[in-house]
Amino acid sequence: MLLPEYYEFCCRVHLVAGHKALERIPALLADLDAKKPLIITDKGVAGAGLVNIVTESIKSGVTIGAIADNVPPDSDLKVVNELAGMYKQKECDSIISVGGGSVMDTAKGVNIIVSENATDLMKFSGAGALKRALKPLIAVPTTAGTGSEVTLVAVIKDHEKHIKMAFTSYFLLPNVSILDSRMTMTMPPFITSMTGMDALTHAVEAYYCLQKNPLSDSHAYAAIEMISKNLLTAVKNPTDKDSRLAMAVAASLAGIAFSNSMVGMVHNLGHSTGSVCGVPHGICMSIFLPYGLEYNMHKSEKFIAELLLPLAGPDIYSKTPGDKRAEKVVELIRKMNDGLYLATDKRHARCLKEVMDRDGKQMVPKEKLIEIAKAALSDPTSTYNPEEADYDDNVMVLEAAWEGKPLDRKKIKKG
Amino acid sequence: MIFSDSFEFTCPIKTNSGKKALEQLPAELDALNAKRPLVITGKELVSKCIIKKFTKAFGDSGMTIGIFDGVTKNPDWKLIDELKKVYSEKKYDSIIALGSGVIVDVAKVLNIAVSLNVDSKKIAKDPAVKGQLKPFVIVPTATGSGLETSRFAHFQGTVFSSFYLMPALIIIDPRMTRAESKEDMAAAALASFARSVEAYIAKSKNPLTDAYAYAAIGFVAGNLETAVKKPCNKKSSLAIANAVAMSGTTMSNTAAGLISNLGQALVEMFRLPYGIGMGICLPHILAYYQKKGGYNIASLLLPLAGPDQFAATPDSSKADKALAIVGGMIKELYETVGNKIPKTLKAAGVPQYMLADILEKLSLADDAAFDKEGYLTVIESAWEGKPVASAGKE
Amino acid sequence: MSDLVKEVAAGAKPFKKAYVAIMLWFMGRAVQAAAKADAEVKKEFEALPDDFTFALGVLPNGPWMVVGKEKGKVKYFGWNPDAKKLDLRLGVKGVEAAILMFTFQESTAMATSRNRLIISGELHYALAFMRIMGIVETYLLPKIIVQLAVKRYPTQWSFGRKYGGRLRVYTRALLGF
Repeated sequence: MLLPEYYEFCCRVHLVAGHKALERIPALLADLDAKKPLIITDKGVAGAGLVNIVTESIKSGVTIGAIADNVPPDSDLKVVNELAGMYKQKECDSIISVGGGSVMDTAKGVNIIVSENATDLMKFSGAGALKRALKPLIAVPTTAGTGSEVTLVAVIKDHEKHIKMAFTSYFLLPNVSILDSRMTMTMPPFITSMTGMDALTHAVEAYYCLQKNPLSDSHAYAAIEMISKNLLTAVKNPTDKDSRLAMAVAASLAGIAFSNSMVGMVHNLGHSTGSVCGVPHGICMSIFLPYGLEYNMHKSEKFIAELLLPLAGPDIYSKTPGDKRAEKVVELIRKMNDGLYLATDKRHARCLKEVMDRDGKQMVPKEKLIEIAKAALSDPTSTYNPEEADYDDNVMVLEAAWEGKPLDRKKIKKG
Repeated sequence: MIFSDSFEFTCPIKTNSGKKALEQLPAELDALNAKRPLVITGKELVSKCIIKKFTKAFGDSGMTIGIFDGVTKNPDWKLIDELKKVYSEKKYDSIIALGSGVIVDVAKVLNIAVSLNVDSKKIAKDPAVKGQLKPFVIVPTATGSGLETSRFAHFQGTVFSSFYLMPALIIIDPRMTRAESKEDMAAAALASFARSVEAYIAKSKNPLTDAYAYAAIGFVAGNLETAVKKPCNKKSSLAIANAVAMSGTTMSNTAAGLISNLGQALVEMFRLPYGIGMGICLPHILAYYQKKGGYNIASLLLPLAGPDQFAATPDSSKADKALAIVGGMIKELYETVGNKIPKTLKAAGVPQYMLADILEKLSLADDAAFDKEGYLTVIESAWEGKPVASAGKE
Repeated sequence: MSDLVKEVAAGAKPFKKAYVAIMLWFMGRAVQAAAKADAEVKKEFEALPDDFTFALGVLPNGPWMVVGKEKGKVKYFGWNPDAKKLDLRLGVKGVEAAILMFTFQESTAMATSRNRLIISGELHYALAFMRIMGIVETYLLPKIIVQLAVKRYPTQWSFGRKYGGRLRVYTRALLGF
């Protein structure tokens, strides 16, 4: 077990996992002296019937203050302010967020406003602005996933001023996170595969990036094992309860890991590809993951090699020579992507040129790569990447990821 | 990773571990909105040098701290009331426990008193704790047992149990965690090891408790030899202190089994330190579990021996190998420490006629797996120091 | 009753603080110098807003260095972080953490990953700052120390850039122009 010279670790979220975890909500709210929650969700989640399942499970124990389902796919300051107003108007005393990353972030933003009685959310941006506990917040993720139910970060966009506000505080962590298999059961195969790979990326990057520590390592390790055993099942058999629950737990484990160990190049390029070309986050993660591993191999080979065991099992691990294990990890992740590509009727893209929108149009034209490479320089996730990556490095990786060819590691600048 | 269908897990603790961790304390207190901490420690239990180092760490922070250094081995309720009075008169807003064991118990109970504004009579009568308490930080020294970071506190015969008792922050600084003696280090390491093993093989385990237990077992397995041979070695004592801290979280989130219950019984009945008692009994309990079946002992091999050995060992041999490693670790530890710690319950001063009383105590503990005959065999083997049947097979 | 608890006021660490103050002073002037002497640093500052100002220092009570742009020029503004409106503030959590940074036991990237810093302001400004500091440290320090301070030593720098630039940055920093 590696003990760094210094590390920090924190995950204060009370996790509740099971096939009937939702039913615990009333008692958990009562423990927090709350009984009138505002439910925050989006139209997709509501349309899939998931909000109904939540309300049916809790209505005998709480008074639902209001249900707000207008959270957009991208968090929006206007909506945050509106929902905070609704919270106050309906005299709610707690929040339940039911949804994916944007719903989670919106709920965190609303919680800042209602707890601090704030008029300008911007004043609380950055780190260290919040000094005390907020109102009770229960997170119910419906993907597996972003891990936002266990992260201390919220990102809210002000679409009018074109700025992105980032909030970082341990006080943003939900009090409780409910991992109920019913919440991810309706996820179609394509969404399951890309959110699952998002979770895998969190765990893998957390394991080899600069802030790794013993607890983030053990959480990441467990997540990787669960994802490798359950993701394909969850994609092929969407109604398999056990694999859905396992993926939900794995996504939270991965969320805890990366929240305490940060991420690197895969997220760096992924965020930028998302912001420049609108590619969904999970797809970016799946595509860039093997490249992030290849790029950092010369610095992190030992750690990457250790991941072969949870990824492939003891048999393959023991049969693979020590100095080939890290490469085998990359090979297996590419194989995973291939498997998911087939299982999702080719919707799970394996390289940037394969990424298509609903109308079959290519989402990442080759000309956009230089813009993505430039945008990546402004994304803070590069800080925790083991190796430096400048504009030229980004272009090199993006070009390989576009073609779907392995990275030529001889070309990586090593300083 | 296997786990039962449903589980819950809580760990409210932020862990800061390593170089200059102590000097981050003022900034961490500020993040908890705390400006005037009351430090609880004991000059009979913690060295002057450590208290001095601790105070120095606040240098340049501009903070004024209150220090109570009078915790002894047997504090009473009067102390809690006196400290509560000072806490509110002097307007402290947080509590720091500098030390382990009884020091942390005092700090936890004081936190109940000042946060819920109740005096000792009321607390003793109704030990239930509800609601967020004042910011509470632990700076452990070398002699922890894992209870420090747990949801438990023991005070004057009362057992408190609440997640609200767990600290918001633990500062594990290598300058604080070096032990003064081999026995102290051995006790701390064994306590955390035994608790973590229990959590890792328990039927009520889940992936979160596994994450903490896995790390703790790995730390002890990798550092026990050095830590006990050189208790003032910073690196290995830091690793053991980490394991101790993590074991508090695991024990708070798993049901107590034979290992913990037996350890607790030995403390209450014979004042045998947790680690010593659990260390004596552990190999016998594991052998019993292996025979009984239903406990995933094979899984221990991974944190104990590392991925290479784990992957290379056939499934049918994993459990035996794990037991052999555990047996070997404890055997070597006893050789290093010599006669300073007892290797059997008999050597620890437990009279043979009281073995039945120990069994009786175990029957009263909340243990769904209570097995009168099996447990008695374990206690008798641990008393006599019978060689453990399965251990030693490779 | 009050004898039960002893009150202890935090002490001071004057020598360590003085060392950090000197390092910050020199660093601030070196950034000002590098903005004139190095094309890459110049480019980084050009991409920042016109009156961009940042401060790096020790919490809670300093010392600080304040650097920023004024009328197109990059200037070292001294030690007072309250004198100007800051776009970016990097507060090191205490003088001991600052010592770790300024004796290069922990690089800026490592100090960030170890949560030794509180960053206030937009994160992409912090990134620009770290790139600038990486270049300045490469000029100021011998390779063996720079390799501890940065993730990747820039082996592609020409002899002229490295040594000529070093001379220019040192001269300008010492003389303050």
